[in-house]
Amino acid sequence: MKARKVSGLDPEAALADNAERIIRVRLDELCGFMPKAADPEEIGALHDMRIAAKRLRYILEITAPCFGPYAKTATKMTKELQDLLGEIPETEQFAERLLAADTAALHEAAGDADDLDPALLKQVPHARDHAGLAALQAHLRARRLILFDRFLELWGEHERKGFRARLEYAVGERADAHI
Amino acid sequence: MAKAEEIDVTPDEPYRRAGAAIVRVRAGELFDHAEGVLDTRDIERVHDMRVASRRLRAVLEIFAPCFPQSEFKGVLRDVKQLADALGERRDPDVHIDALRTFSKALTAANKHGVARLIEDLEERQARANEALAAELERAEQRGLHGRLLALADAADPGPEPEPAA
Repeated sequence: MKARKVSGLDPEAALADNAERIIRVRLDELCGFMPKAADPEEIGALHDMRIAAKRLRYILEITAPCFGPYAKTATKMTKELQDLLGEIPETEQFAERLLAADTAALHEAAGDADDLDPALLKQVPHARDHAGLAALQAHLRARRLILFDRFLELWGEHERKGFRARLEYAVGERADAHI
Repeated sequence: MAKAEEIDVTPDEPYRRAGAAIVRVRAGELFDHAEGVLDTRDIERVHDMRVASRRLRAVLEIFAPCFPQSEFKGVLRDVKQLADALGERRDPDVHIDALRTFSKALTAANKHGVARLIEDLEERQARANEALAAELERAEQRGLHGRLLALADAADPGPEPEPAA
């Protein structure tokens, strides 16, 4: 996902003023993925939301001391969100990889056959592996559901605690601190 | 995970000067982590270097308007390429570690498939390690660290030297 362009950045202006502009855009990007990403079928939206969380986290990690105290709290909250979102696509990709490995082994064993003979499962080199891989897939898919529920819960908590409004307020404040 | 060094930058400092100071430190951290990164027995080394590469890449993107664009694009591309190679090595490290833990909870009949997958991932890890070695060499040949420092200098050359008495 390409980051939205931030306009009005000025190399000669204060770091905090430029960082405020970037944070406002990145925060808007992140929040814009909801409610779409709350749909478990919207894997792409969830993946893009993770990237948006990562971008917001990085600018906050660097510049939070420039702003009001909530910016530091928001950095931690964004990291939690990114960590949780990060687990979801990686788990999914992993399950896909297992499926592909199994399919390739069977396909090769089938040779030029017109259709796939289920008995080939006994002959393919990985025959003994299927049970373990199926168990792993079930584990990964169930884990994905759990992590998705945790993500929804965490986002709800962020909303209840006024994450967006409080961060927008904090970046309007200026702290007298070193980074 | 290696903690990022704190940097002496103030909120009212010009954006370009802050960017230069932060790039200098984060670039140094990246290359400080290069030692022993190809040793697959200690997966934390590649993790630390990968984290450092992600921090540096983020800083470059955040401060992009402060740098001369012609040099900046090439440097960012090289940093991304190194970060990608580190990521390709890190992914199998993480999966192997997770699968070994997962396997302990399985019945004997279910262990085979997971062991097979671990072997497969170890092969991928070895290939990724070779690719990372090539990428590290490439970064050195292309003088990536020096180009990063030059980029920082172009954004802010630092304090004027004291005139000779």
